[in-house]
Amino acid sequence: MFYREAGQYKSDYASDQAIFPIRQDRIGVLLIFLFALLVIPFIATNYLLNSILVPFLVFSIAAIGLNILTGYCGQVSLGTGGFMACGAFFTFKLTTWMPEVNILLIFLMAGFGTALVGIAFGIPSLRIKGFYLAIATLAAQFFLIWMFTQNPWWTNYNPAGVITAPPRALFGNFYITGIEATPVNKYLFLLCFTAALALVAKNLVRSALGRAWMAIRDMDIAAEIIGIRPMAAKLSAFAVSSFFIGISGAAWAFMYTASVEALAFEVTRSFQVLFMIIIGGLGSILGSFLGAAFIVLLPIALSNLPAMVGLRLPVDLIAHLEFMIFGALIVFFLIVEPNGLARLWQIGKEKLRRWPFPY
Amino acid sequence: MSAVATAAAPNQNQQEDGGVTQNTARVFDEVLLEVKDISLAFGGVKALTNISFDIRKGEIRAIIGPNGAGKTSMLNVINGFYHPQDGTITYKGQVRRKMRPHNAAKQGIARTFQNVALFKGMSTLDNIMTGRLLKMRTNMLLQAIYWGPNQREEIRHREYCEQIIDFLEIQAIRKTPVGRLPYGLQKRVELARALAMEPELLLLDEPMAGMNVEEKEDMCRFVLDVNEEFGTTIALIEHDMGVVMDISDRVVVLDYGRKLADGPPDEVRRDEEVIRAYLGVGH
Amino acid sequence: MPMRILPWLIIPPAAIIGLGLLLQGISAIDSQLYFTWGYFLEVLIAGTLQGVMYSLVALGFVLIFKASSIFNFAQGSMVLFAALTMVGLMGWGLHWTLAFLATAGVMVLLAMAIERAVLRPLVNQPHIILFMATIGIFYFLDGFGQTLWGSDVKQLDIGIPRTPIFIFEETFEGGILVNQFDVIAALVGGALVAILAIFFQKTRIGRALRAVADDHQAALSVGIPLKTIWAIVWSVAGIVALVTGVMWGSKMGVQFTLALIALKALPVLILGGLTSIPGAIVGGLIIGAGEQIAEVFLSTYIGSAIQDWFAYVLAMLFLLIRPQGLFGEKIIERV
Ligand SMILES: Nc1ncnc2c1ncn2[C@@H]1O[C@H](COP(=O)(O)OP(=O)(O)O)[C@@H](O)[C@H]1O
Ligand SMILES: [Mg+2]
Repeated sequence: MFYREAGQYKSDYASDQAIFPIRQDRIGVLLIFLFALLVIPFIATNYLLNSILVPFLVFSIAAIGLNILTGYCGQVSLGTGGFMACGAFFTFKLTTWMPEVNILLIFLMAGFGTALVGIAFGIPSLRIKGFYLAIATLAAQFFLIWMFTQNPWWTNYNPAGVITAPPRALFGNFYITGIEATPVNKYLFLLCFTAALALVAKNLVRSALGRAWMAIRDMDIAAEIIGIRPMAAKLSAFAVSSFFIGISGAAWAFMYTASVEALAFEVTRSFQVLFMIIIGGLGSILGSFLGAAFIVLLPIALSNLPAMVGLRLPVDLIAHLEFMIFGALIVFFLIVEPNGLARLWQIGKEKLRRWPFPY
Repeated sequence: MSAVATAAAPNQNQQEDGGVTQNTARVFDEVLLEVKDISLAFGGVKALTNISFDIRKGEIRAIIGPNGAGKTSMLNVINGFYHPQDGTITYKGQVRRKMRPHNAAKQGIARTFQNVALFKGMSTLDNIMTGRLLKMRTNMLLQAIYWGPNQREEIRHREYCEQIIDFLEIQAIRKTPVGRLPYGLQKRVELARALAMEPELLLLDEPMAGMNVEEKEDMCRFVLDVNEEFGTTIALIEHDMGVVMDISDRVVVLDYGRKLADGPPDEVRRDEEVIRAYLGVGH
Repeated sequence: MPMRILPWLIIPPAAIIGLGLLLQGISAIDSQLYFTWGYFLEVLIAGTLQGVMYSLVALGFVLIFKASSIFNFAQGSMVLFAALTMVGLMGWGLHWTLAFLATAGVMVLLAMAIERAVLRPLVNQPHIILFMATIGIFYFLDGFGQTLWGSDVKQLDIGIPRTPIFIFEETFEGGILVNQFDVIAALVGGALVAILAIFFQKTRIGRALRAVADDHQAALSVGIPLKTIWAIVWSVAGIVALVTGVMWGSKMGVQFTLALIALKALPVLILGGLTSIPGAIVGGLIIGAGEQIAEVFLSTYIGSAIQDWFAYVLAMLFLLIRPQGLFGEKIIERV
């Protein structure tokens, strides 16, 4: 079957505005999702689930969040780590305070809490732009981490300053956090949760709000002159973005590592997520997934490849090489394709559309 | 420049002009916007000094003057982007307070820019859809769900935008990112975006600058059509005196931030001071 | 830009005295807070001298930003890289002066490499893309330096005396303790700024660089290709990074955290205004003094390690009032 859109005439605006206007795309995405839902749980090893798929999904949520703020609304943020920490610690406080409330609800509440924090730290964006704003978001990063490290209240006075995920079930016996939670459970929950969140993000960016964000990103003065209130647009981007990032931080702490200290969300985490959206593609939901996959897989590849060809490299050397390769790749991507993997994917599809009869 | 030739040599051109224009007969009474004694300065630079004029409902009002005369600044004052140090603006009978541009938009003032100010990362259609934002009502939650009320609203506004797209004959570039369009089309998309706001007062800053004759003719036709079909009041800045004479009902002339003349095109063209100002800049 | 001197003679002393009086007042009410004027000045001086170090990093940023509008996030890792290289070379037995010169050469090569491999392909890209590219350089250099020279903490000793000295022993009881090292670091910083000032005012290249900072078109008419100018500016910034690295490194050892501490120069920068060299200096002093005072006098109330975030929050709050920073030019937007 050829990959074509010819013959698929759109008879109405609704189908023209669909997420995947081309039928083959729709089928493809559905197949991938079904495969991930129905097949992977049975064939995947615990290593694949715990060390690759779960962090991939967690990071995807964070990358979507940051992409909303930076890729769609044009506000560069270096505070991602701080907002992830908010999500993690809010979840911990909420679920230990109200153990009977469903963990899904707790996640969402933590997300809303983080959104409020995001709005507070987004206020400078009304006055300052660009580099000035990027630096100002570092205030969020450092202040929040400091707050969670300094105040033992946030960890329920844990002497090591660590929060540990208590066992919580989504329903009945389906535990998704704590020791009872199996990797498959966590994976399945995260898969559906991430898919739902991605859908929400996609819906927002293709609606009025998303267009307001992009208008602010592309030319804020013109945006204001056609009636967009910069305050509403920017702060809503901060709120939605922080909501996603907060949830991702909660998922990180409760499902990926299961126990965590505030330092796990240091400024390097912010850079990591920023790299995901640069490599994946600014202003692209698909790119957020691609970037997350890339950044999760790269270190694994780097630490396994030398061993596979028989080289034994010391661990710290590998860490340094990883830094170098990361940095070089960032520069490489910016030079070769500033629009990231998502754009490459699109170009590939264009080619495929012409194949096998280029004209 | 041909504009200057026209202004500088009014006597030769006078006869030919006779019946071309549709404007001389039109009479407008209702004042839509009145600026009074507006003064605006940037540090030491006086961009506008004591400017007063009005724009009447339904007319096409031209603002002309040499470069740096303060024309763009005047539009910026009208849509709330610059705040004059002195003077008052009365819009629809109400004296306006200091306001932000988005308030002006809400009151029905739309605008295009001298240097195209499109949203470069978005398609033509999305650019035009941003013009509808003020009219869209669904909240964030409904937008997150998309299907249902939000989708119905999206489609409703899409239909309106499609009408504008047809009107301005830009169907073929609907899905093209605007950054890839040639300059002339970008200007047209910008007009489309402004029209999508269903403005009462449309401000056009040099809508035909940098266009070839054909594109200019198209643009003139669109401006006249907009004015006629939608009854939109239009204030436009234009350098091409021929165009100004053809399509405008009244002309206000600025020079070094001062008002030189104000009146119907024929009258303005004969004004001694206007002729001198144009000759003075040495075109 | 003519600078009004008078406010600068009045405001800083007034602010310092005001702050002192405030703290004295609090200590009168609350005996938890220890305050004497001698102690206050000691903290203030220590903080200010520390601030000089921030200023040095910020200076490198400003140089590059003025000449190319590139926000060079990698300045911090250039500091680390320079320090690592210099220690490494000294480890091979070179005298520190030789090692310093050799490292300066390495920094020039590095600047040329960056210009060639990163800046030239990205010329005319939006600022934000270049900014992210410098984050890439930041990572690359951190990894590269440590791959070459290892990641253990190294001592860098070029013979700067470290003994603390006491001054004003008659005025204040017990005198004011001042770290000799910090004073020397401040002097070195001052000398560097002076040399840069002469470079920019008196030499042909320096004047050309200033022309670029004002207007890129003008620069082309001076007859120096933009890429040469960029390479020169990055070299100068690299040497500033080297001096910074030597001072920081001898103070606290050469290690990875240097690159992160250098991040503190970022709030300094936006506080001072991105394009202003005096801004970088004054900003550094304010932030150094401010965070030291906050750490010493506020930690009894809100917990320690305030220094982690104080600079950033201070800069952020300041920008809410004055978005262009202390010395930055007012941003007027036009359409
Ligand atoms: N934002 C601004 N800052 C400083 N000066 C400005 C600004 N906007 C306009 N001016 C000055 O005001 C004067 C009028 O400019 P403008 O309104 O753009 O003229 P025109 O559109 O008639 O060519 C010019 O001298 C211009 O330099
Ligand atoms: Mg103009």
